[in-house]
Amino acid sequence: MPRPRRSGPRAPWYGKGMLLGLKVTAVEFLRTVFPHRGGLKILKPNPTAGAVTVQYPREKESPTPRARGVIALHEGNCTACMLCARSCPDWCIYIEGHKEQAPPRRPGGKPRQVNALDRFDIDYALCMYCGICVEVCPFEALFWTPEYEYSEPRIADLLHDKSRLGEWMETVPPFEAYEPGSEMKVPKVPPT
Amino acid sequence: MTAALDREQARYIAAQAADARINFEIETEGMTLNMGPQHPATHGTLRIVAKLDAEQVVSAEPIAGYMHRGYEKLSEVRTYPQVTTLINRIDWLGSFANEVPFILAAERLMDIEAPPRAQWIRTALFEMSRIANLVLFAGDTGLQLGGQTAAFYGFRDREHVLNQIEAVTGGRFHPNFDRIGGLKDDLPKGWIAETKTAMAKVRDFCDEIDDLVTGNEIFQARNRGIGVIPADVALSYGLSGANLRGSGVDWDLRRDAPCGLVHPELDWKVYTHPDGDCFSRWWIRIQEIREATRMVDQCLDGLPSGPIMAKVPRIIKVPAGEAYVETENPLGAMGYYVVSKGDLGPFRVKIRSASFNNVSVLSWVLRGVYVPDIVAILSSLYFILGDIDR
Repeated sequence: MPRPRRSGPRAPWYGKGMLLGLKVTAVEFLRTVFPHRGGLKILKPNPTAGAVTVQYPREKESPTPRARGVIALHEGNCTACMLCARSCPDWCIYIEGHKEQAPPRRPGGKPRQVNALDRFDIDYALCMYCGICVEVCPFEALFWTPEYEYSEPRIADLLHDKSRLGEWMETVPPFEAYEPGSEMKVPKVPPT
Repeated sequence: MTAALDREQARYIAAQAADARINFEIETEGMTLNMGPQHPATHGTLRIVAKLDAEQVVSAEPIAGYMHRGYEKLSEVRTYPQVTTLINRIDWLGSFANEVPFILAAERLMDIEAPPRAQWIRTALFEMSRIANLVLFAGDTGLQLGGQTAAFYGFRDREHVLNQIEAVTGGRFHPNFDRIGGLKDDLPKGWIAETKTAMAKVRDFCDEIDDLVTGNEIFQARNRGIGVIPADVALSYGLSGANLRGSGVDWDLRRDAPCGLVHPELDWKVYTHPDGDCFSRWWIRIQEIREATRMVDQCLDGLPSGPIMAKVPRIIKVPAGEAYVETENPLGAMGYYVVSKGDLGPFRVKIRSASFNNVSVLSWVLRGVYVPDIVAILSSLYFILGDIDR
């Protein structure tokens, strides 16, 4: 059953709205082709500077320091406590470790028992990039880095082992300072 | 085969027979148009089975469930911090807004309140996710009605907001930034100034899209008077958000039932439109983008100093009880009914999402419209499949 079509207020004369739309696109086009402002430079066309599109393989965007790109592992800090593996929502972290005797810190002391890390794998094919593992780590062994170029032709290669995760450590940016009014302390990235 | 399925089958065959008899008697060829599941106007995979008589829709039925991911059931076997990750994916265009009601429900059960600074930042991010969502709507509606330019402008100007969300949360689409008792982190230095510039750019986008699309005669001809939903029908189908306000019902949870966010302290306006057609829903959403940019500016101006996290134990166990919290999300009213038995994770979570109810009105509103108007109605109702199927 068709309902009656109501009529609403329209533009004063037909076609005005369409011409206004054409003006918007024309202004946008001119802004893209002539992006320079001020003086005679305005006549110099430079569409590559005015365009919004980033020509990806040649130019690269730089993500913010907080961007969750890939997780870096600081192996020296990890004690294989399994907190990250247990709190992962899809259980994509695989950890194996063993206890071993380490030489004493000071000469004449008792030998220490330390947890050595045998295996630390993150399966990026499963990872949801939620950051819970980085947050729960009590020993500052996991860090986010904004790197994003690690796609692989084979899905099995997305399983990063501890040496590969350790390589990401060099790309971890320093933590940003906070906005005034914040009471938080800025953490530090440990040296690799 | 069960008795119910048997009955369904019998009814289906009877309906087919009835259709055939009518077609035979009045000599018209009926046709069933199967729209979707992969139709670009459906924001995902919604299927609409429309029975046509020539160019008119006789009856239409939306069929959901092609993207069901079982979040309600998954939440039962996850801990509270892990659930936040999951529910980010419900409405993927305004993800931060999904987290807020769930976290507020858990906070209500634990009887804690986030510190004021966390509440103000939460409100700012909540409104920014609304902008990210609705700017894409503005572009996408233009695209579906045949104007590609609007889509590019929408995607371009959504970047400003997404970049700001990424700078503070680390994720563009799935922030996972809200924690029980506060927020994960504080704002980075210089973020407030950058966000204000981004908000000014979004306001420019609104003016641009008004000139480009709203005033366009073809756009008006395809939207005015199409898909009219009267207020009583909108209420009876449980519509919410801009779809309900577009039918002239003055109802906004941010103003009428605020909980945990600082909306009552801000200066803003709820827009309604009496027509109830596609154009009024479009117009209200554009005004809502403008109001949201104003709200973000006010949140950043009035940001109090202090901690961003209340005192919360490291391992979160929520005491036994039930809580329901509903907020006004970009798509409409979204609520979480959380039942806890004192464990690490919820015992049961019921998710009331806006799109599911908004789509249910399709079978009513599509009756009698012409085939090209289906797309205009679908895009103006504005649903997201993740929000329908969960």
